[in-house]
Amino acid sequence: MPGKIAVKFYALLRQRLGMSAIEVDADGLTILELLRRVEKQAGRSFLDDLLDPEHLLLAGTIILVNGENVRLKQGLGTPLRGGDTVDLFSPAGGG
Amino acid sequence: MNGWMGKIIKIDLGSGRQEALPVSPETRRRFLGGRGLGVKLYTDLCPDPLDPFAAENALIFMTGPLTGTVMTSGRYQVISRSPLTGTICDSSSGGSFGAVLKAAGLDGLVITGRADRPVYLHVHDGGVEVRDASTMWGLNTQQTQKAIHGQTPAKTSVACIGPAGENLVPFAAIMNDRDRAAGRGGMGAVMGSKNLKAVAASGNRAVVIADPEAYQAMNARLDRAVDKNPVTGKSLQVLGTSVLVNVINAHGMFPTRNFRSGVFNDAEGISGEKIAESLLQRQSACYKCPIGCGRTTRTANRNGEGPEYESVWAFGAHLGVSDLSAITEANYACNELGLDTITMGSTIGCAMELHESGALAEKMLWGDAGRLAGWVADTAYRRAFGAELALGSKRLAAKYGRPELAMQVKGMEIPAYDPRGAQGMALSYATSSRGGCHMRGYMIMPEILGHPVFLDRFSTAGKPEIVALFQDIAAIVDSAVLCRFLQFAMGISTFSEMLRAVTGLDFSDEELLTAGRRICTLERLFNNRAGFTRADDTLPPRFLQEELQAGSSRHRRVRLDEMLDKYYSVRGWDAQGVPLAATLTELGL
Repeated sequence: MPGKIAVKFYALLRQRLGMSAIEVDADGLTILELLRRVEKQAGRSFLDDLLDPEHLLLAGTIILVNGENVRLKQGLGTPLRGGDTVDLFSPAGGG
Repeated sequence: MNGWMGKIIKIDLGSGRQEALPVSPETRRRFLGGRGLGVKLYTDLCPDPLDPFAAENALIFMTGPLTGTVMTSGRYQVISRSPLTGTICDSSSGGSFGAVLKAAGLDGLVITGRADRPVYLHVHDGGVEVRDASTMWGLNTQQTQKAIHGQTPAKTSVACIGPAGENLVPFAAIMNDRDRAAGRGGMGAVMGSKNLKAVAASGNRAVVIADPEAYQAMNARLDRAVDKNPVTGKSLQVLGTSVLVNVINAHGMFPTRNFRSGVFNDAEGISGEKIAESLLQRQSACYKCPIGCGRTTRTANRNGEGPEYESVWAFGAHLGVSDLSAITEANYACNELGLDTITMGSTIGCAMELHESGALAEKMLWGDAGRLAGWVADTAYRRAFGAELALGSKRLAAKYGRPELAMQVKGMEIPAYDPRGAQGMALSYATSSRGGCHMRGYMIMPEILGHPVFLDRFSTAGKPEIVALFQDIAAIVDSAVLCRFLQFAMGISTFSEMLRAVTGLDFSDEELLTAGRRICTLERLFNNRAGFTRADDTLPPRFLQEELQAGSSRHRRVRLDEMLDKYYSVRGWDAQGVPLAATLTELGL
């Protein structure tokens, strides 16, 4: 939908938020701004699962925009456009 | 002796003769224990590659200097030549067996010969007793463990084979502590070839710690570090390893239908998140493990352990199956019958593609969840089409004229990461000493999970150097012996600190990294003698020539040619992958 961004939650983040996805009107926002808006819209805080106190990505946090890791783009400053899909993974591991 | 128990016994099952195998302090220091010392002893005893099922072939159970001491130290390694690949092989398992073997008084056990009837070995009080196992032959792994527990002291730990090992299936596992597996490479079949049903250990000898004060303080600090780390302190506990299903699928590299796609549309239904809300009964943990990634689960019909990530993939996306109960029960069957889930699932997937392509008449259909457990059982007993599946994918695909449909390296099936989605992982698969294995250099950590630093997964720049480093570190951890998951919370300097505190020897990070390189090079030398060359350091053509068509790895293929020469150079090997004389001198090999 134009202007809307689909945000999907995985791993522990899903349990914390109690939902697996949300749709946000976030055209033109950055990733960090999107995360704050999601917190507000979901009514639950979760940024500390993804970011350190200085608001830097935690080692192991994965944020994908249309499948591409934001660490290879502009990090938390990566701009978003309507129609984007954002996948949020709190740090996870396995083998 | 601090750390090590100071005793390794060599036993010939043919004659029953046993002797202590002397190992100098210098050799222990240079090869540590576990995988490293096991490979050293193996290649000294069997320098010329033998038929893995020959009586004179050695099978080695080995612990390390840290076994039975710090966190996650219940593990052990089994070393021999693999009947699946023909390479040197070591297979690692958790649980408590390693720690109990040391409590029984041994660092390791070297087994040669073939018993004239089924036997098991009971290790206790620093010695080995050969016991009759005739009545146990044919039992599954859980029945075997129960039978041996009825004949041995309380808290005995048992590592055993099931019917698959008895029937020499080349990817038979050794199972211990109920559901822990030394899964890969067919060490269970080597055991079966010796008429050896199990090794049991019991005892209460303590590992002597060189510096108890530093050891205690270090342990308290490491407990906090593991607890504080979001992966080791929470994610692995709550969601297990299958949390990776969604992670890897979102990266477009979750192998689906024999690696024809990197996106499985039903990934959510077989994910760690789904397991946690459906089948999970409780988490389970190995000896002294604060992480607890194990899953005790229940389906409508049965209960057991698993599935973990690789197994949920092997019986799930790889086969186009999204029935989580069927996947889980196939996993249970592998545990009970003693089979490696990765090779088992991958070989079924190979057969499905062979059938679809018209090369194989046997009706093997994508998504046929109802037949999974049956195929596993038929493989273990080599009956019906299971006799063909028991070949493993390489031999199966070759037999039906389509060798390129086996998703393997050097005969070992590659696991649940499509290498087109991570160039470093691709190089690691191609150069692993035991074939298509992710555990020899787990590049998914930096390329996908961002530990300890994040690397661009599609770039080949710098990957040869990092793959070699990760392989060396893996060799250290496998030789110490510890669980790889600690690497999410700590690095090489912590491992050297642990070794200093336990052994009292002044291990530096540099000395350990050299030891890792020495171990990898020794494995390479054996593989060279076994006939493996540069031509074997490759991947199936699917990964080199065909681009993925969907998902976030679409239009990608593996660019091995950009990395292999540099990798050899970093390793100090020549252009054919043979270690240079100067490298051997430097490493004291």
